This record gives sequence, structure tokens and C-alpha cells, in this order.
Amino acid sequence: MINIPKKPAPTYLVTLGIPAAILFTIFSFRRIGFNLQDFRENLANRAIVTDPLFNPKWQWAWDNTADALLETVQIAILASIVGCAVALPLAFYASRATNLNKYSYFLYKSFLNLVRTIPDLFWAMLFTVAVGIGPFAGVLALIMFSLAIMGKLLSETIDSIDPGPMEAAKATGASHNQSVFTSALPQVLPNYTAYFLYIFELCIRASVILGLVGAGGVGRIIETQRIFLRFDRISPIIVIILVVVILIEQFSVWIRRRII
Amino acid sequence: MKIPQQPLSQRILKYSLTTLIIIGSLWSAAGLEITLERILDAPRQIGILVGAMFPLDLSQEAFDRIIPKVFESLFIAWAGTVIGAIFSFPVSFLAAQNVAVGIVSRTTKQILNAIRAFPELILAFVFLPITGLGPFTGTLAVGIHSIGTLGKLSSEVIEGIDEGPLEAIKSSGGSKLNELSFGVIPQVMPTITSYWLYRFEINLRASAVLGVVGAGGVGQELINQLRFRDFPRAGTVLICTIILVLTADTISAAIRNRIIKGKVVKS
Repeated sequence: MINIPKKPAPTYLVTLGIPAAILFTIFSFRRIGFNLQDFRENLANRAIVTDPLFNPKWQWAWDNTADALLETVQIAILASIVGCAVALPLAFYASRATNLNKYSYFLYKSFLNLVRTIPDLFWAMLFTVAVGIGPFAGVLALIMFSLAIMGKLLSETIDSIDPGPMEAAKATGASHNQSVFTSALPQVLPNYTAYFLYIFELCIRASVILGLVGAGGVGRIIETQRIFLRFDRISPIIVIILVVVILIEQFSVWIRRRII
Repeated sequence: MKIPQQPLSQRILKYSLTTLIIIGSLWSAAGLEITLERILDAPRQIGILVGAMFPLDLSQEAFDRIIPKVFESLFIAWAGTVIGAIFSFPVSFLAAQNVAVGIVSRTTKQILNAIRAFPELILAFVFLPITGLGPFTGTLAVGIHSIGTLGKLSSEVIEGIDEGPLEAIKSSGGSKLNELSFGVIPQVMPTITSYWLYRFEINLRASAVLGVVGAGGVGQELINQLRFRDFPRAGTVLICTIILVLTADTISAAIRNRIIKGKVVKS
């Protein structure tokens, strides 16, 4: 007879977690008012949106969105550059490999986590109230957004660097800061560039919706047209943005291949 | 002593990128009419806003309004993630090159790309006339967007599997279905589950935002309080959201860690 090894008993995570997850799912669906019958009855209403959405007015979009689109791109460029620049030193302070002080490490790490919990549009709402409606609020919001993502990605990359070069630098008499500059920084620079391009893409996508709360960019046009249910004017904007995002993606793939 | 230099082409690339970045940011700042004055004044203005939020509005009435909304965001995010997970799972097999036939895989991938192109907020607009103002709309928007993103990530996981077990099943006479259930699924399940949880974390932020267009959740509450200039209550909304997101993130990250790295064995 073949001796088949016994399957290990399921852990608590499985025996308790899965029923809990299922219960929570049922509870959530009840609380959000999930109702397929109403959905089916009102499905015809979709025509209000989908008919114009699939019937785009290209000429209109061409004539009226160029300024706002440029604004969107400019917001994304400025915010991703400033955000990533600020995040660079922060990430080194928020990594155990380069920050030897336990407390300040914890402080920087918590700060980055805190910034990350607030969604991009919340930042935009807060900044429109603080500095006034307009693209400046959008730039500030996306600076926080890119700062949070870059801080997390880069600090985790720094955590996993090869400690050898830093040790070598210290062995030659370099101070801690010098060893970080000469040994840790060059190791993560290729990743930094790659993350920057990725964040720039995210910023372009995010800056589209900033206008909904008055923080500038093409979202401002989307919001006004949405109120008048002119989805035939919104869909070309979405397509144009998609093309811009794809172009930027191609560009970043090209640069990434050059650098890494 | 002679220190080796970077090759010329690399240096040219480096300097041209630096110039590009500087010119790009200056051009953008000029185009957006962001002056030095405004930048220098911003911290003061932000300080005024933050100052106006304190002391927070901790009255019973505020909590009675805010807490249900915060939990609504949680339910939207969870239900949306479940919808995304259930539908993206079979779709991801169709999109994986090593499981599906070439043309099926390519078409499915394009469909997933198209879904991902629509931000949740735009999807919410589409659902508003069908499902009305409320959390159900937000759930559908979050769910559909998640199908796109989870489908892409999961299909990439499936494409990266080790083909060995599949061959073993095939050589012992297993059917195509056996291959999937004994060869593919056990290999990809841990990673895919952790992606589901990761998506849940992202969806929580997305669902918080959706209230801006009336699709349920805490965003509505924040934008209303800011419009009515009730800053102490806006501060409470913000703090409650932060607490919820931090808690959910921490739990979800712990579970993901456990799934990917396995049980920590104490020696």
C-alpha cells in the first residue's frame, strides 16, 4: 500500500477566518441595500447615461478641453516631481537599514502611513478649502498622494538593500550619512526612477478626478458636463485621457529599459 | 588615483533627464500660475484650516451621523471587493496565456484593460440612474473596477506558475479540469488571495471618496461639512476615516503576511 502523507489540519486562520469572511460579506451586502430586482427594473434607465456615453462628441471635446487637459498634465508633472523629491529623504529616514535611531524611524514611518490613509480626493477637498479653488490645491493634493506612495515603495526597497557596500564604506572611515549617500542611495536610484514614472502615471489618472471637488484639471469639465447629463461630451475626454496614459506608459517603459 | 567614470551615454542621459525634470516643473508651475508667494503662504493657510478643526466636534449627534457613514464605506469596499474577486477569478483563467487559447486570452485581456480605464467615480456616474443615490451604486462601481484590476493581476499570477505539476497531472492521465484544480489553483491561491486583500485596502480609500458624487460612504459627509464650514465636524470625519483605514490596513496586511510567508515557527 502506498503511504500517502496526511493533509495538515487547517489552521485557525482558515477554520475561523473563512466563516467570518462569509458572514461579513452577507452582512455587508444587506447593509448596502443590494437588491437585484430593483436593479433589473431600473436597468432601462441606463440609457440616460450609456446612450450618450457611446455616442461621443469628438468635435466638442477637441474644441473645449485642450486647456483643461494641459492643466491636468501640468498638475501631474509638478506634483509627481515635488512629491517624489520630498519623499526621497523621508524614505531613508523611514527605513530600518538607513535610520539607526529606533524612535525617529518609527516617527517617519508613522507619518508616511498617516499620509497614506487619507484618500487623494480628501486631500483635494481639504486643500481647496485651505488655499482656494484651483489647480494649486490639486497640485498640493497630488504631492501628498505621490509622497505617500513613493515613501512606502522606496522605504521598503531600502529595507531590502544589500548591506555590504554600506559596511565597506564604513570600514573605510565614512560616517553613517556618508555611507548612506555613497552606498545606499546608488543602490535604490534605478528603483526610484522606475517608481517615479509609475507614480507619474498614477498622478495623471488621479488628476482627472480632482476637478470634481474644484481642484483644477480636466475633471472640472467632467463635473460640469455631468451635472447636465452630457455624457456624450464626457466619453471623448475619457478616451483622450486613456490615450495620454498609454503614451506615458510607453514612454516610461522606454526610459525604464534605458536605466535598469 | 584614477576613478572610473560612468560611460558618456549614461551621463548624457542623466543630465538630459535632470534638465527635463527642471524645465518640466518650471513650465508646469508657470502654466498653473503657481507663484512663490502662494507656495510660501500655503503652510499658513493650511495651518488656519487645521486650527479651525480643533477642538474636534465630539458630540453624540456628530458620532451618530458619522459612524454609520464610516462603516458604510467599509461595507462598500468589502462588498465591492467580493464582487471583484468572484467575477475576476474565472475571468483571470480566460486571460492567462498558458491556460486559455491565444485569441481568448488576448480578447479577455483587452476587455479587462477597457474596464480598468474607467475610474470608479466615472463608473459611479453610469450606475447612478440605475441604482440611485446610495451605497449600492458605490459598490457596483468599486466592484466593476476591481474586476478589471484583479483580473489583470490574477492572470499574471497564473501565467507565472511552475508548469511541472501540470505535466505530472497530464502524464498520470488527468483531464484539463484536473490540471486546473490540482495543478494551477493550489499554486496561485495564496498570491491571489493576498491580492484580493490588497485590493480591499485600495477599495476602502476609493469607497471613502465615492460619496462626493452621492454614491454612499463617508466622502459625502466630509464634503458637506466642508461646504457648510463646520470644520470641527469635518475634523471628526477625517479622524474617524483615518482610524478605520489604519485598522483595516493593519489587519489586512497581517493576514496577507501570514498567507504569503506562512506560519511563524518559534524556535
